[in-house]
Amino acid sequence: MAEQAQRRAFEAQAQEKPTDNNHAYEELRHLIVAPEQEGIASIQDRLENLEKRTEDVSVVVAEAIQMRRAKGDDLALAAALAPTIQETLRESVRRDPHVLADALFPVMGPAIRKSIAETLRGMLESFNEALEHSLSWRGIKWRIEAFRTGKPFAEIVLMHSLLYRVEQVFLIHRETGLVLNHVVAPSAPAQDADMVAGLLSAIQQFARDSFQPGKTENLGNMTFDELQIRVVSGPNAVIAAAIRGHAPEAYNLAMNETLEEIQRHYSSALARFAGDPGPFRAAESQIARLLETQYREKPPEMRRPRAAMIAGAIAAVLLLGWIGYSTYLLIEWSRFLSAMRKQPGIVVVSYTKDGRTFHIQGFRDPLSEDPKKLIAQAGLDPDHADLQLAPYYSLDDAIVARRAAALLHPPTGVTFTANDGELIPEGAASQNWIAQLEEKAPWIAGVSRVDESHLQNSNLQELNALKNTLESTALLFPLGRAELEVGQENNLTQTEKNIRELVAQAGSLHQAVSIELVGHTDITGVEAANLALSRQRADQIRAALLRNGVRSASLLPRGVGTSQPLRDEGTEEGRRLNRSVTFKITVSPLPAAGTVTGASGAAPLN
Amino acid sequence: MLQKKVCMLGSFSVGKSSLVRRFVESMFDEQYHTTIGVKVDKKVVHANGEDLTLVLWDIYGEDVFQKMRLSYLRGMHGYLLVVDGTRRQTLDDALELNERVVAAIGKVPAVLALNKYDLTDQWEIEPAQEAQLAAAGWTLEHTSAKTGDAVENAFSHLAQAMLAK
Repeated sequence: MAEQAQRRAFEAQAQEKPTDNNHAYEELRHLIVAPEQEGIASIQDRLENLEKRTEDVSVVVAEAIQMRRAKGDDLALAAALAPTIQETLRESVRRDPHVLADALFPVMGPAIRKSIAETLRGMLESFNEALEHSLSWRGIKWRIEAFRTGKPFAEIVLMHSLLYRVEQVFLIHRETGLVLNHVVAPSAPAQDADMVAGLLSAIQQFARDSFQPGKTENLGNMTFDELQIRVVSGPNAVIAAAIRGHAPEAYNLAMNETLEEIQRHYSSALARFAGDPGPFRAAESQIARLLETQYREKPPEMRRPRAAMIAGAIAAVLLLGWIGYSTYLLIEWSRFLSAMRKQPGIVVVSYTKDGRTFHIQGFRDPLSEDPKKLIAQAGLDPDHADLQLAPYYSLDDAIVARRAAALLHPPTGVTFTANDGELIPEGAASQNWIAQLEEKAPWIAGVSRVDESHLQNSNLQELNALKNTLESTALLFPLGRAELEVGQENNLTQTEKNIRELVAQAGSLHQAVSIELVGHTDITGVEAANLALSRQRADQIRAALLRNGVRSASLLPRGVGTSQPLRDEGTEEGRRLNRSVTFKITVSPLPAAGTVTGASGAAPLN
Repeated sequence: MLQKKVCMLGSFSVGKSSLVRRFVESMFDEQYHTTIGVKVDKKVVHANGEDLTLVLWDIYGEDVFQKMRLSYLRGMHGYLLVVDGTRRQTLDDALELNERVVAAIGKVPAVLALNKYDLTDQWEIEPAQEAQLAAAGWTLEHTSAKTGDAVENAFSHLAQAMLAK
């Protein structure tokens, strides 16, 4: 304004003082620059005039926005306008809510209806599932689980029926059916995504053409047994998810949100798509979220019941174990009792069980097995047995034999058995012990007689052994002579010793001994001379024995010549043996104690 | 890798499926044809120095009983129009079909495959007519699914045309 005034003042001044030169110049100048000056003045005027400027912008504002949109950069414009529009809407509602309500009415109705329909569908699905499961075996299992965990049945049904896995997610260009991006869950089976997406689009197209001609709605779900394909469609893109199991309806919401996000982000790329999936590579993270976040494991609170189940199982095992052990003990005890009843010297009259203790009543011979030891041997606890066994004399054969052994102290090698009152000792025993046995046995309880047929008299056995030794001894002589062969002295000494022992033992057994000394010759020479020689040899030995003090036996010398040869004379060795004296011994019991002494005293003197 | 949706078009029994069966990766059963009227296969071709995935929509041949679902053609980047060279009628039908396709979808790259070229003695298409078609802007290929002749060429010419667009 100030400039304008200045300029006008300057022009007025110029007109007031026209000199000739000046005038001509001004005239020229006016002619040359006046139109421009006017133009500049008019532009300046328009610039400075707010009213005019506003008028100018109002003419182009719609075209400017259109041009901006045509350039494809509508996001920035939307961002710039958004706060103002929001504020405007808020202000509009504040002033008069009816204006917006009226404007939105035509779209709100269908939107609300659609939303309600979706929700009801979800509810019905869950309700159907609940109905379906309530009468099945699974349903009964879930009822038990609900009872056990104290949760509502509906919650348990939901918890189980919502288990699912999203195996693949396809981002598909709606128009062409080409794959923009594709993700597969780890270890899920995946086919060629290009072909699958193509056919999926074809099927969508087919369904649309066949059942809803003219509409643009898409098939929402396709179900094949356990596999479900859920499809959500936007104007340019489609998301299809292959789901194993039952995904909740809410999963569609996540799909829709992802699709909207992608549509917003890639709107121009989607509109311009000519087969290059490159720009959509970054959408992988968005669709992968649909894959990853929708896994649903069994909720962790399932672990608690599992712990309870384990505890229950342990308790059950323990209970079963206890019952088993008790039964085992009872069986063991009854087995033990029946074994004890068979035990000689023990009589079980009755038994009772009181808690863990067994009371056993009956009789027991002191010589029977110790019952406590039997209990321990059966693997049972002797402390759990209360034995009330009265002592008695058992007439059982085994106990009778044991009793006889206890009273008679048999020498080693002698054993007793008993059979129905008859005591049967077996083995070899001395004369003295046998005498004792005969005297004492009848006094032992349960013994009515003794069978000695299996009992050997050890003294008699020794006597017989000596007799056999002597009878196989031959004292040798040289050819034709009655003196002992050189070297036969030891033989003679041993023979003397044996005879003395024999006589002594026979004496203690009240036996009388007579010894024939039999002289032999070989066949050399005539028999009459041989007979005489053999007798001489026998006499010679008798003399030697007597000389050496063998007195207490009757020694009867006899010559048999060649009539009883010891060996065949065919060899020198045979003939040598036949030039000898041998012994023939007779042992016989003494007739009576009185006469024995006299006889034995007289015999050596014979 | 760049992808293109390619449709196989042509009358009933001109050998579209034979061409596809011999030269592409297949995953789905033939019976898709009869149930929903299309079978989707895939072929990777090399053109203009790059690999290109062709997703082939082999569309069930038209006959008097069944009209083709034009909705399957939506968004296609190119097509192979297949004709049985031993049956003149199939060429006329194909050209008629082509007009409908152009009307519905607009002009997109296409290759005209004159198939069954191994049966030369039964060939019914005059060289003059072929020249006329070429003059009208058609890329022609004499293919044979039986011998395999020119099938790769048909696909790679189509690929080049689509890339040039």
